[in-house]
Amino acid sequence: MSYLTEGFSLRSWLFTKDHKRIGILYAIAITGFFFLGGIAATLIRMELATPAGDLVGADTYNKLFTLHGVVMVWFFLIPSIPSTLGNFLVPLMIGAREVAFPRLNILSWWIYVLGGIFVVLTLVLGGVDTGWTFYTPYSTMFSNSYVVMAAAGVFVVGFSSILTGLNFIVTIHRMRAPGMTWFRMPLFVWSQYATSLILVLATPVLAMTLTLMAVERLWHIGIFDPALGGDPLLFQHLFWFYSHPAVYIMVLPAMGVASEIITCFARKRVFGYKFMAYAILGIAGFGFLVWGHHMFVSGQSIYAGMVFSLLSYMVAVPSAIKVFNWTATLYKGSIEFSAPMLYALGFVGLFTVGGLTGLFLAALAVDVHLTDTYFVVAHFHYIMVGGTVMAYLGGLHFWWPKVTGRMYPETFARVAAVVMFFGFNLTFFPQYILGYLGMPRRYHEYSPDFQLLNVLSSAGASILAVGYLLPLVYFTWSIFRGRRAPPNPWHAKGLEWATTSPPPKDNFDTMPEVPTVPYEYDPREVAA
Amino acid sequence: MTQPAARAYWITWVMLLALLVLTFALAHVRLGNLNAAVSLAIGAMKALLVALVFMKLRRASTLLAVFAVAGLLALAILFGLSGADYATRATTPAPWTSP
Amino acid sequence: MSEHTLGPAERAWRSETVSLGMWVFLLTEVMFFGVLFLAYFHVRHADPEGFGIASRHVHEWLGTFNTAILLTSSLSMALAVQAASGDDRKRLVRLLAVTGLLGAAFMGVKATEYFLEWKDGLVPGPGFRYSGAHRRTVEEFFFLYFVMTGVHAIHLTVGIGAVAWNALVARRERHVTRREDAIEALGLYWHFVDVAWVFLYPFFYLVLLYK
Repeated sequence: MSYLTEGFSLRSWLFTKDHKRIGILYAIAITGFFFLGGIAATLIRMELATPAGDLVGADTYNKLFTLHGVVMVWFFLIPSIPSTLGNFLVPLMIGAREVAFPRLNILSWWIYVLGGIFVVLTLVLGGVDTGWTFYTPYSTMFSNSYVVMAAAGVFVVGFSSILTGLNFIVTIHRMRAPGMTWFRMPLFVWSQYATSLILVLATPVLAMTLTLMAVERLWHIGIFDPALGGDPLLFQHLFWFYSHPAVYIMVLPAMGVASEIITCFARKRVFGYKFMAYAILGIAGFGFLVWGHHMFVSGQSIYAGMVFSLLSYMVAVPSAIKVFNWTATLYKGSIEFSAPMLYALGFVGLFTVGGLTGLFLAALAVDVHLTDTYFVVAHFHYIMVGGTVMAYLGGLHFWWPKVTGRMYPETFARVAAVVMFFGFNLTFFPQYILGYLGMPRRYHEYSPDFQLLNVLSSAGASILAVGYLLPLVYFTWSIFRGRRAPPNPWHAKGLEWATTSPPPKDNFDTMPEVPTVPYEYDPREVAA
Repeated sequence: MTQPAARAYWITWVMLLALLVLTFALAHVRLGNLNAAVSLAIGAMKALLVALVFMKLRRASTLLAVFAVAGLLALAILFGLSGADYATRATTPAPWTSP
Repeated sequence: MSEHTLGPAERAWRSETVSLGMWVFLLTEVMFFGVLFLAYFHVRHADPEGFGIASRHVHEWLGTFNTAILLTSSLSMALAVQAASGDDRKRLVRLLAVTGLLGAAFMGVKATEYFLEWKDGLVPGPGFRYSGAHRRTVEEFFFLYFVMTGVHAIHLTVGIGAVAWNALVARRERHVTRREDAIEALGLYWHFVDVAWVFLYPFFYLVLLYK
């Protein structure tokens, strides 16, 4: 009897308290939003295929990139790995039967849905054109679009993040199985823990900031308008106090996924496990100290800019530790290029490119040239799409047999990984060059000089779209027609593989004990 | 969970009210810049009393204490680094801005 | 299995887990209020003199009286938590009722203040009628005043509702220790709302009282 056969009614899903079912509910919801945001991206790239604004006008274009940003950041990337794989795996990996507060967990999903309704409503009514950043004074004084409605959606969905973070923190502190000490936890759990800390510390700041923005827009009284005695940079400080750590909310779980996959398919223990754990915490901590690098040209004090620049460089240290340690884990391993491994290796490569170009942007003088150009767009897409989405898909493949009890078609999965990697680079690498040449972001028209690189980028986007549709097709197929999965198809270590596929409702038939450190792989044994 | 004696609660309450009277009285005395500091300090003392006794942080595990303090640390970062901007920012008001 | 038969070890484990959950939640609340305090310091720092002038328009006696009410409600809440873990149902229900009533009294005084300020034309926006010196800062002061005390009042209203609900449930419970974790968490929340007010009070009422 698995958790999937515990009940078949709609009610048994929508009001479940089972963390595994909630993970699946989240996966379905965020997949919907992923393709909604993807449609917006497709339209953006189609418009940019030609220099003239011929497909959509300026207003529609502004609404498209705002929709793309809002949906992808808050309704896909932030919940992507934590709320789906995290919900499913954290209790399994620490040997718990459930999360600490199961009812809060399903409540968080419903809050997510409510926030999603606000965003869909915004779209239906006519959209919002402020960009995902909601900068004042544009959002409070000038925009003629549904700013408050969109901000309400982001406000609401924030509470779903907060509840998930709260649940994970308490679960990881209080629910670990006997013997599961902190340094026996898989790195995926470490990454979920650090992510949760950021979620609970940063999200409330965004919620209150958006509230103040909405109040100022509705009643023309507030603290951001200089004419009222306020300061527009205060909004940016508060917004980025949340939104920079939010980048680490998106990428830390991806790092956790990559660690699990790489160690398994290299058949080697994670190199420098403790340093990997400390690096996760280090990135989460440094993440709170660097937000000012989004404001170098905003009119912020140049001295504060110097401090933020220096602190931003320091994030590179724990990030580099992680990349070096993944590489060292591969060294002399018995590497198998299975589909999850292809995604994980793609993650490492693209994250490295995205991270290194982040250093360019952290340099004060260079940033003056690159601010608000396509260089920035390329940089954060390398982290969020090349990094997080690749890792999310890698994780989906890796744990798909555990979640569904079915195997996906391996060949298709490998093809999709390669198509995505190729399509992604073709889409976004030209944007680095465009940005370096000075093409500004957020315009629907551009100088004909930039057309060649833009056509390459749009061509890449169409390949990327095919790459993303492939898993949707073969995953759906595998649920019905896929081969039955054994409990541990990859011969992986970790408690989630010690139970059946799919797991029983209470996760383990007998309570597990944890006698050893994680990742006891040996390169001499060969994966099946 | 073991509960502290009711007496401790009553004593704390008396101290809180005494601090309230004290801060209200001191606010009427001209101390210059110290007025703000004094009222903030007394506020912090009251908050500490509530946290330690009523919220039982005095006897709580380290874990709870760490989470109780973590928010203050994060706020210190928010105030400190944005303050670094405000303290050193050069402002050039537009000609039409009223002072 | 009825829950009041849990052994002392399980009771302690559960109590610690629920407390941790509430403390993490309060952490988010600290950050939530923190934004408003940052805005407060920004406005006050920009024009300290105007800020002082503005603060003379709030009713410091009512504010002080209200602070005393709220501090007293924290005392009764702490005693209620004690009664819950001592399985003293009668005392628990009585103390919860006192706590809820004190909370309601606070809200009553607060509403009176709001009414007086509305009558004086101090509500920011189109109805703002103050026209003396530092008009802009005075309006910002009252904007912050209404937002911050308003957010606090929302929290207190939620708290009063939760206290009333728990009192009703406890009345029908044979063993109130079954509810001790919930009431312990409720207590933490109530005290937090108290702590938030402890800072709001000097920030708005005690800025410039001396002549």
